[in-house]
Parts: sequence; structure tokens; C-alpha cells
Amino acid sequence: MINLIVIAISAIMFALLLVWWRWPAFRVWMEAPKYSMLRQESRFDNQETDRSS
Amino acid sequence: MTTFAQNLSSRNNQANTRGLGALPTIEYDLIRAHVFASLITLVISVLFGITVATKFSFPEFLGSHPWLTWGRLRYNHTQGIFFGWLGNAFLAFFYYAVPRLANRPVLSRKLGWFLFWIWNFAVILSGWVLVAAGFSQPLEWAEFPLVVAAFVVLAFILMVFEFVLPFFRARLSDLYVSGWYIIGGIIFTMLAYPVGNVVPNLVPGARGAAFSGLWIHDAVGLFVTPFSIAIAYYVIPATTRRPISSHFLSMVGFWVLFFIYPLNGTHHYVYSAIPMAAQKGAIVASAYLGMDVILVVANLLFSLRGSSGLASRDVPLRFVWFGVVSYLVVSLQGSVQALMPVNRFIHFTDWVIGHSHLAMIGFASFIALGGIAHMWQRIPGTRYNERMLNWSFWLLAIGLTLMVTDLTIAGLVEAQVWQSSAPWIDSVRAVGSYWLVRTLSGLPFLAGFVLFWTALVSRPRSETVTSAVRPVAAEEIVAFENGSTASQEFSWTGWLGHAHVVAFGAGVGFFTLSFLVLAIIPGKELENEIKRVAPVTMATLTASEQRGRVIYGREGCAYCHTEQVRSLAADVRRFGAPTEPWETKYDYPQLWGTRRVGPDLSREFNLHTPDWQLTHLFNPRLVVRDSVMPPYPWLFNGTPNQPTQEGLDVLAYLQSLGRARQLSGFDRQTLTVSVQSETPNMAMPGEPSARATPPVVPIAMTGGYSVSAPLLHPAADPDDLQEEVSRGATVFTANCASCHGPAGKGDGKASASLLPKPANLSAARFSDQRLSSVLWNGVAGSAMPPWRQLPTEDLRALVAYVQSLRVSPVESSTQEGADLVLGKALFAATCASCHGETGAGNGPAAGALAPAPTNLHLKKPTEKRAWDVLENGVPGTAMPPWRSQLSADQRHALVEFVRSLYGPPQENSGK
Repeated sequence: MINLIVIAISAIMFALLLVWWRWPAFRVWMEAPKYSMLRQESRFDNQETDRSS
Repeated sequence: MTTFAQNLSSRNNQANTRGLGALPTIEYDLIRAHVFASLITLVISVLFGITVATKFSFPEFLGSHPWLTWGRLRYNHTQGIFFGWLGNAFLAFFYYAVPRLANRPVLSRKLGWFLFWIWNFAVILSGWVLVAAGFSQPLEWAEFPLVVAAFVVLAFILMVFEFVLPFFRARLSDLYVSGWYIIGGIIFTMLAYPVGNVVPNLVPGARGAAFSGLWIHDAVGLFVTPFSIAIAYYVIPATTRRPISSHFLSMVGFWVLFFIYPLNGTHHYVYSAIPMAAQKGAIVASAYLGMDVILVVANLLFSLRGSSGLASRDVPLRFVWFGVVSYLVVSLQGSVQALMPVNRFIHFTDWVIGHSHLAMIGFASFIALGGIAHMWQRIPGTRYNERMLNWSFWLLAIGLTLMVTDLTIAGLVEAQVWQSSAPWIDSVRAVGSYWLVRTLSGLPFLAGFVLFWTALVSRPRSETVTSAVRPVAAEEIVAFENGSTASQEFSWTGWLGHAHVVAFGAGVGFFTLSFLVLAIIPGKELENEIKRVAPVTMATLTASEQRGRVIYGREGCAYCHTEQVRSLAADVRRFGAPTEPWETKYDYPQLWGTRRVGPDLSREFNLHTPDWQLTHLFNPRLVVRDSVMPPYPWLFNGTPNQPTQEGLDVLAYLQSLGRARQLSGFDRQTLTVSVQSETPNMAMPGEPSARATPPVVPIAMTGGYSVSAPLLHPAADPDDLQEEVSRGATVFTANCASCHGPAGKGDGKASASLLPKPANLSAARFSDQRLSSVLWNGVAGSAMPPWRQLPTEDLRALVAYVQSLRVSPVESSTQEGADLVLGKALFAATCASCHGETGAGNGPAAGALAPAPTNLHLKKPTEKRAWDVLENGVPGTAMPPWRSQLSADQRHALVEFVRSLYGPPQENSGK
């Protein structure tokens, strides 16, 4: 049981790190949501600002 | 300076043409409704909690109406916080965040209101009323009855449509981490909740506990944690107007959390009868979880880099920051608690209660409050009083610090007492002052929550949200431009583009994995062991015992009394051999428990007499002066001697606990390899094996169990003796006066309902040997328990004190000249069959009698007492009245004779 957990998690972590290290575009793709979230947040804020003005 | 907001304003126009379309509608009315529902239920739940805490210090607080008893209020406290407060707060956040993250409105406004009514009225209000009325189930975090659980499941199904479907429709290829947590949390809880609520009712004992353990942790790990983290990941960038530190790390944290959290559940049952492989697996998973939390928290705190001033000024952000830090502390604490060297010490203590409050308040509630305040600032037309919110923060922070510190220390104190051989009640006495502080720490909580609520309804209504919007540094725009372009170039992730599908598949997959690995496989193993080891004579509970079990669960008894002896020497010394899986094979649902305020009850069979049990149930303080157990007068018709059928049912259930083990002679068998489980391997290095540790307190008193008592002689020196008497008086007042009365006359509060009556200690002279034996073994067949767990010095002091109680005999001379020869002849004819020919209490019939006949060599009653006994007998024993069979002269002769027997046989005249 312990071995299963340790091996599975280690494998997942290793795979993720490998992909992250090997493909710079993946890194960029992975980070994109944090910008799109802010963009969406600003759209709503602007809407409210426009509405109040 | 060009700001991110200004830049994005023009970008929005482009975005609209790129397909993002118009902004989705946000259901502000539903947000407001859920926010107010959350705060109302929060205040009510906190009041439940303060009442529960107060009852630890004042058990009679609020009287003894069943609706206001400790167990039912405790159920409503935790379920109110879980569903009422946090559930509503999360729902409010979903209505705010899902349209923004998915760029789609929630499915339906009508469905939203339907969900609101189901959540608040079919689940919370109905649940509270049903629990108060006595309809509940004794499963941690699943106390609402099954009929309510059905509505919870329905609500989660509706949540899938309302909140998850918009993500499906959006087909977002760049789903932000908060969206992942929302999708994962809803789906996972929807699947885990029914399993945690229903399966333990269908799978008994140890096997059921394996499932219960999963839900106990899933409730926090898959409902509370994901949604709280979703809020934190949303509020921090939305307030700082800067992207989080790393979305990649946030996703790593997400996946590891959903993979690891479900595997933690069994760490609630370390050292239990659940297979060791599952226990160790859960411990390892707990350690991994700690590492994952470090990752998540580091990412969140790095996201605040350069914004420390903002985190200080912006109260909602400060709430979230505090919650994130608490998340780190509580998670690392949880990982450490799961480790066996720590778990063996602090499990079942108040330490764990402090831990859970740190999780539910310090982590989840602070983040939820921050999320609410953040949303509220941005909802047009709301009122918002930042100053009051600031006061609320500090009150809550002070209350939390006080409570967690207090309970952590209290837990260590309890653990220390439990490791010793001191009586259980000493642990209750030791933490009395801590419980008082804990109650007082609830007051800042209440004030803080009320202030928070007030902050949302005071001050003029806002017409704009611009005050909450801050400019963003221009350098972030460059990063955004690069990221935006590059992400479109990354075509490798076709299947990852359907993030919601991955989330759904992962939710189902991990759910299945956790139950398979930690519940189904260990359950199969347990089933095989039960078949192999269980005594064939083990009977199911009778109808009365079964009803009693339901009442026991209804009143929350399992939240203070465990029914599992862990494989630890300290447990075994106190309660007997470790619980075997087969012992609870008929328990639907299991009542193992995860907390001990009172002692473990799994060996209660024959440990106390029925009259003691009933008196204790009627009012525990009648027999145990410092008990904090609630009274249950509604199980009686006015007095402990008049139990209702429900009272008798509870008695029957209590008397059944451990019966199968004792009657089957399981403990007398030589444990061969074929019946040994792996529990002996659980001992830590240097620790005595649990199986090799004999219990200190006898498994059963009335079964004739006794061992040679050490002979306790009071001091010979008068000064030392006086000191011992003084010490004995203190011990007597604390432990004995409830039954024997303050002066030892057998007229304590409990005496009215005990049969035989507690001994009048001033009406006889007791030898050292007699008192030593009684204190060591108790008196079988009476309510007198063994006190061998007291220190020897205390026992010796008790002997000295009891001997000092004897009234100096000013014997009348009415029996002068009474015929000892006649008395001896009468004794041989009428008394010797029980008391023995020499009066040593060893007559032919003595072996079958409980209490055993008095050994008159060790106890010399006063003349009056001896006369009363001959006149009236001793109710509750085999001693009959002799008034009608013997003349007054004959009785006088017997009185003189039996009094002459005191002392070693060769020295007394009677002999």
C-alpha cells in the first residue's frame, strides 16, 4: 500500500516536472489561465465602472 | 501610467469580437441570499457551540430538556457550520465566480432559488429540528438523518447542473485553478457524501469504520478545502490585480490534493482493528499531504509578494491571508498527528478538537469571510463598513488563538493523565479550567461574527465598485501578452483542452481509488478475519439492546465515549485487551468514536451494576461528583429507580458491551498464531506490547474476578497517621462521598437509588485487610467499584480515613451477659451456610452470592448496626431479615456472637 502510494505520486510528479522542463510552450500554456482570469475580472470591473458612470 | 485595467478595457472589445461575447449575468440576489443565510446559520451554529462548551463546565446549563442536551446540540453545531455557514458561503462564491471563470452564466436563476430553498430549509432547518427531536445518525460529519442526507445529495446534483455545466458549455481550454477546485469539489463531494452517510449503515463495525474514516476526512478535504482554496486563489489576484505566482504549481497542488486527500481518512483509526496496511497507507498519505500543502501555501503567499502593505490594509485580503497561513499550520499539524508516535499520545484528546477548530475557523472560515467581504465590495448597491470588518478580524483572530492554544494544552494534559494509572475522572478534573477558557474564547468569536454581519448591512449603499479596483503594474501586461500568444501556439494539449472532462474523470477515478484501497480491500480482509476468529456463540443484540443502541447514538454518547480499545499499553491497562474486528460485527453503524471525554465503554459488560448505571444515567454527578456527562432525566419517570422503557433499553445496551468477548472466554484462550491479528506489531520501540499488558481495572467485577490485594496498613506514628487521615479525607470527598455521604454514613446523593445501599462506614470497624480488599477489587454485586488505579498512598490514606470514621463505641449494657454459647449455636444453625462456620464469609452458599457474605473476622459492626441487620436484613443482598424467625433474646445473642468474631480466628472469643 505504502509502496503503491509513494510510487504513484512520485511518478506523477516526475512526469509533470519532465513535461514542464522539456516543453517551454507547455509552461506558457500552463500559466495562461492566471492572466485570462485577471482579464475576465477586469471586464467585469469595467462593466460596473461604466454602469456607475 | 498605463494600467492593466485600462489596457484590458480595450482588450475587452477585441475579446468580444474574438468570441468571448458579452459578459454573463451574475445572480447578485442569490449571492446576497446565500451570504445572509450563511451569516444567520453561522451565528446560530456558534451559539450551539458555545452552549456545548459551557456544558463542559456547567453540565446542568439550560436545564435538562432533551432538545437542549449536549449530544444533540453538538450534532447541530458541526452540521450547522458545515452546511449552514460554509455551505452557503461557498454557494454565494460560486454564483460570483463561476460566471467570471466560465464566461457563462450559471444554468438557471430558478434552479438557483430552488437550490437555495432545498439547502436552507430541506437540509439545514429540517436537519436541525430532526436532530433536536432525536432523529439523527451517530456518524461524524454525517449526523443529519438519512432523509436529510437525500436532500443533500439532490442539492449536489443540482449544483452540478448549476455550476459545473457552465464550464462544460464554455469548453475552456485555459480553466483557471479556482474553476478546477470548484468542479472537483462539487463532483467529489457529490460522490463521497452518500457513501459516507449510507455505507456505514449497511457495513458493520470495523468495516464500516473504514468507510466512516474516509468521509470524516473527505468532508474536510473534498468539500471544505477545495472551495476554500478556490476562494483564496480567486481573491488574491483579484485584489492585488496581479496574477498568481505560478499556475503550474497551483495545478500540481490541485492534482496532488485530490489524489492524496481521500487516502488520508484511515488516519483517524490508527492503532485500531483496521488492517495495518491501510493505517500505514493513510499515514504516508498524510505526510504527502503536508508536502502538498506547503506547495499550495507557498504559491499563494508568493502571489502576495510585493503586496504585503495591501494585505495589511485590505481587510478581505487580510482574512484570506490569515486563512492561508492557518491552512499551512493546521495541515502540517494534521500530518504530524497522523504519525504513530504522536497519534498514540494525543488522539482522542482536546488537542484534536483544537486542530479541527483551527481547520474550520482559522482556515476555512477566515477564507470564506474574506471571500464574502471581497464579493460584497464589488456588488453594486451593498453596504460595506470596513472599520467594523477590521474589528471583526481582530476579534476572530484573538478568539481563535486563545481557543486553539487552550485546547492544545488541554489535550496534552489529558494525554498525560491517560498515560498514567490515575482514575479517568482525574483527566476531567485536570482540564476543567481549560474548558472554561475554551468557553470564554467563544465569546470573541460570537462578537466577531456578529460584527462581520453588521459590517455588511451598515454604512450607506455603494453605487460603484471602483474603490475596490486597483491598477496593475504594467510589467504584468507584457507577461500576459506573451502568455496569451504562446498558449495559443501550444497545440500539444488537445485532450487537456477539455479540462472539465479531465476534472470529471479524475474526480470519479480518485473517488473509486480511495474507497477501493482504504475501505473495500481492508473490509474484505476484515471480513475474512472475522469469519476465522469470531466465537460461534456470539449473539446479535436483543430488541431492547438494539433500541438502546439507537438511543445511545441519538444522544451523542459516542462523541465522548469510544467503543474501541486501541492496541496501546495505556489503553489496555485501563480498559482491557485491544478491540478485535469481530467484536463489532453486528454494529450498524459502528460507534467506535474519535474522542474521549469519558472512558471507553467497550468492556462495560458487568463492570457496573444496573442500579449504578441507571443512577449514573439519571444524573452522573450522583455517583461521580466531578463528572461532566449530561443527565438524561427523560429516560426516567422522576427518579433513578423508575426508568422508562427507553432507560431500560440504554441500560441493556450498555450491559451488552463486551459481553460476547467475556462470555466466549476469548481472553482466556491461549492466543495462538491462528487467532492473532497483527496488532502486537503496533508497539513503538521501547513501548510495552499492548497484548502483553494486563488490564489494571478488572474486566468484570461481578464475575468473581479478583486478585490479591496489597495489604495497606496506615501509619503507626500518630502524626503520620493524622496526615494520612487528612489526605484520605480529601480523596474520600472527591471519589467516595457521592455514594457514602460526606461523613461516610452511607447517605450520599446516590444512596437512594443504589441497592445494596452504600456501606455506613461509621457503623463498623473494618480491618486493614478488609478495606484493602474492597478498595482493590470493589464489592462484586454492589455499586462499589475497584479503586486500584489510585496511587498506593491514596489507598492507604483512604484506609486510615475510613477507620477514623468509626464512632467510638459507647455500647449499651442491655446485652450484658448475652449467651455467646447460644449465639454460636444459632450462628451455626442459621448463618453458617453463607457466612461459614467460622464466620469468614466462606460458607457453602457463598460462592454463588454477590455481594459475598460478610467476613466477620474483618468487619465488626456496631451493636446497633448488627441489630438493624438482623431486624431488617440487607436489601439488595442475600441477607434476609430474622425478626420473624428469631426471638429478641436470640437476636441479642447473635449480635454479641458476631461482634465477638472480629480479629484473627485464634484470638477471638467467639471462635
